[in-house]
Amino acid sequence: MSTPNQNIDIHDEKNYDPTVWVPKAHSHGTKDIWLKFWILLGLTIVDVAFYFLMVPSMARNIIFIALGVIKAVYIVGTFMHMKHEKLSLATMIVLPMFFIIFFLVWMMYEGNFWGTF
Amino acid sequence: MSTQTISKSNTWKGGNSPFNVSYGKLMMWIFLLSDAFTFSSLLIGYGAIRYSFPSTPIEQIEELQLSFGENVQEKFAHGADAHHGEFFIPALRDAGVFSESQWPSPDLVFNHFPFAHGLHLPLIFVSLMTLILILSSVTMVLGVEAGQRGDKNAVTKWMFWTIIGGFAFLSCQAWEWTNFITAGATPWANPYGPPTFAALFFLVTGFHGFHVFSGVVLNIVIFINNINGTYERRGHYEMVEKVGLYWHFVDLVWVFVFTFFYLI
Repeated sequence: MSTPNQNIDIHDEKNYDPTVWVPKAHSHGTKDIWLKFWILLGLTIVDVAFYFLMVPSMARNIIFIALGVIKAVYIVGTFMHMKHEKLSLATMIVLPMFFIIFFLVWMMYEGNFWGTF
Repeated sequence: MSTQTISKSNTWKGGNSPFNVSYGKLMMWIFLLSDAFTFSSLLIGYGAIRYSFPSTPIEQIEELQLSFGENVQEKFAHGADAHHGEFFIPALRDAGVFSESQWPSPDLVFNHFPFAHGLHLPLIFVSLMTLILILSSVTMVLGVEAGQRGDKNAVTKWMFWTIIGGFAFLSCQAWEWTNFITAGATPWANPYGPPTFAALFFLVTGFHGFHVFSGVVLNIVIFINNINGTYERRGHYEMVEKVGLYWHFVDLVWVFVFTFFYLI
């Protein structure tokens, strides 16, 4: 590891060098992180409860996928700091995944008819 | 490194970085999106193949009259020595519950727990694995938060716990695989039902497990670099954030692997 060039300001907005530039980091505290941990734990318990209390059906599968998406929102939003990023970045990453969710449900439904036509 | 810099006015009117993230972090996000596509293709394939088989009829499972925590090896041993040999799988095969023509119910396949041989404990072990991975994600994000404050010792502490969590998860997965393999499952054979079930299980949990393994290696690299003071000298701890993104992604994928393989 070479010693960093002291002449370059890594946070400089005016004389921007893309090879070293990083935005200044801000901490958002730990309270939110622990709150999201308890929510994720609770949602996992809700998952298991649905598994045992509900008869298997496509409706139950959609509940599981919906709970998975809610968990994903908390993991991506809080743990991966997406809710503190610019909307353009969040859109670029999250939007394609909505089509994937649609495709997941679609192909599960489609599989029902394989071998029956 | 050249000290020549690019003037803001010469770049473009959108500002220096339109997304206000560094080059490395943007690349990590794009990599994670592409990796999400890879995992999605596996899960989409799983969903389609799983529903091309009929589910195990609920009446068939109710007929077995299994209760939570019951010793199912003894129950189906019919007086034989329940500690030696497998009785649960053959009995369910005879009853037609495990059959090539229907998808096995996950709570009949993944009902083991360490030190509780023969007991029917469906979904408990995999819930524990989920808890371990979520916890290690929390310790990772606490490490990232410590890095944002520039607290080197706190980063070391939280990275240590994240690595421990990663190893704990990998150990659980190794135990799960061992159980599955000793029952007779291979990528082309499956005592619980259609061979595709075992093939997909090994493929998807193996692919995820390899991601966890890579994540643990990256975490160890970050841990050592931090102890050596690399990030302190650099002036920022963004490397912790970037590897943290990868680690949270692995956790996120597990949420869906858990949903698809153990719940659906």
